[in-house]
Amino acid sequence: MPKSRYRFNPESLSFDKIRLGYKSVLLRGLAYFTGSLLVAVAYYIIYASFFDSPKEKALQREISQLTLQYDIIQKEMEDLGTVIGQLEQKDDNLYRAIFEAEPIPSTQRESGVGGINRYRDLEGYSNSDIVIETTKKLDRIKKKIVVQSKSYDDLFDLARTKEDMLVSIPAIMPISNRDLTRTASGFGLRIHPIYKIIKFHAGMDFTAPTGSEIYATGNGTVEAVNTASRGFGKHIIIDHGYGYKSLYAHLDGFNVRRGQKVERGEVIGFVGNTGTSVAPHLHYEVRLNGKSIDPVNFYMNDLNAEEYERMIEIVSKTGQSFD
Amino acid sequence: MGKRKYFLDLNDLQYKQVRPPLRKRVIRFLFWFTASLALSLLYISIYTSFSGSPKVHLLSRHLDDIKLKYLLANRELDSSMEAINSLKQSDEIRYRPVLSLDSIPGMIRNPGFGGVDRFTNLDGYIYSPLIKSTRIRIEEMKNMTSVQDHSFSSILERAQEWMHEMDHLPAICPVDPSFRLGDGFKFREVHPVLGIGRMHYGQDFYVPYGTNIYATGDGKVVEAGYNSYGFGNYVVIDHGYGLQSIYGHLSKIHVSKGDMVKRGRLIGLSGSSGTSSGPHLHYQINKYGSPVNAINFFNNDITREEFNEMIQAFSSGSSFR
Repeated sequence: MPKSRYRFNPESLSFDKIRLGYKSVLLRGLAYFTGSLLVAVAYYIIYASFFDSPKEKALQREISQLTLQYDIIQKEMEDLGTVIGQLEQKDDNLYRAIFEAEPIPSTQRESGVGGINRYRDLEGYSNSDIVIETTKKLDRIKKKIVVQSKSYDDLFDLARTKEDMLVSIPAIMPISNRDLTRTASGFGLRIHPIYKIIKFHAGMDFTAPTGSEIYATGNGTVEAVNTASRGFGKHIIIDHGYGYKSLYAHLDGFNVRRGQKVERGEVIGFVGNTGTSVAPHLHYEVRLNGKSIDPVNFYMNDLNAEEYERMIEIVSKTGQSFD
Repeated sequence: MGKRKYFLDLNDLQYKQVRPPLRKRVIRFLFWFTASLALSLLYISIYTSFSGSPKVHLLSRHLDDIKLKYLLANRELDSSMEAINSLKQSDEIRYRPVLSLDSIPGMIRNPGFGGVDRFTNLDGYIYSPLIKSTRIRIEEMKNMTSVQDHSFSSILERAQEWMHEMDHLPAICPVDPSFRLGDGFKFREVHPVLGIGRMHYGQDFYVPYGTNIYATGDGKVVEAGYNSYGFGNYVVIDHGYGLQSIYGHLSKIHVSKGDMVKRGRLIGLSGSSGTSSGPHLHYQINKYGSPVNAINFFNNDITREEFNEMIQAFSSGSSFR
């Protein structure tokens, strides 16, 4: 309609041409724009409530699959947790039967099934980024701690190499026992495996398969390599000087001769079941001036403070000895 | 602008009210509607290209939450894995060496998730790898726990055998260990009664008449009576594992043939019956029918008090087993 429009003016009783001013054009434009926006929003709401965009559809699909699978996973994890719990019970029962002692919960175990609900209270928050960031931070700190403790180890090493005495006296575990699980029975009053009464156990027992390597726990001279048909069975005594001697009993075989000089960590023999022994194990004694002392205090090169605590806990239980 | 609009009809030069026909109005309405749609589309596409649609926002957030759940689930699985590994350690390091059982090869212990991919139905999603890896982990761990379960069962079985063997071995001293040991397993130039050279197959204990004699291990009494060839009143206990213990020259027998006895059970009193020159106990161990040195079966590392405590504990059943 390119034609001009007129408006009837009742005052002058004439038709006036409609002329739009600058301002009213702007106003009207604005009004149109706002209106169109509102209309657009209305359209969008109507559209969105009936249809999903392809991207939304894809997301919805992912979410519903993830949710479905998550439910399955939760269920499966619960089952798994139950099974693990049952296995741990079996483990404890076996421990009681074989070692005649209350089982010590391992650190893994504490964080294992017991901690299965650890993160559940974190769920439901939408600040996933924070959680993830925090866990990452934690991991970094852990790494730092390891590095830190390494540097202390270095310091300790430095101090240690100072004196000959410190290389001579027993300072490591006689078998490889990083995780301490080979520790079977400690020094002190223990249940005798045959007599079933509490008897003094002058050493420490380590369980290990027959043939496992046995290490000299300090530098010294092999004082005795004996074979007895009962008692200690095949056994080795090392004289470390400074009044210290160590004894390794129930061996399967020897790797040293009498009079031989040995260094800490050298393989001197192999775990066996000779003499009075009910199972393959190593009976280890440390003697100071002829008197048996608790070997638990002679693993300083192997154990850090925490491991030492744990070792103490393990050996303090009145378990059964193996000889 | 509610006022009526007019136009100048050039045909008759009159002002006429603008009154468009319905068709025109419909067309006009359609035009405006289409235009508004197009405009809306334009607005929305501009908006979404800058910040994504609100719904997508909401959904992405939801997705992030679920991803976090998966992360946490995987952390739980980490700790479950640690628990399984700790069980494995118990198994491999604690029990198997004690029981002289071979370790289970890693292949069997950690069967992994080989063979047919059971989770192909989970393919086709962006997060398929996440879901699949989580489910596969669970599946693997289930396999590991079932291996562990079997392993524990066999350990338990073996442990029971072991304990059975420990209880049955003739492993203690048959009398109060503070009594003096007599002749051992050796060739005697002069037999104290027969006066000729003869192999002595047992371990003698110099015990006074009427001393308690105890079973040295669990077993079944296979002989209990008088033997005219030398043992006099004697008892033979079969411990299984090819081992028999023989107690000779008794004055009194407290068990009869066929009895099942426990270690520490009073089986008789010492004496000097049979070929004997004075009160003593002849203790002999036969392995698969041939005598072996009995002294290697027990230790004299126990005091009289401890021995009595032990006998007390065995007979009252209050021992640790």
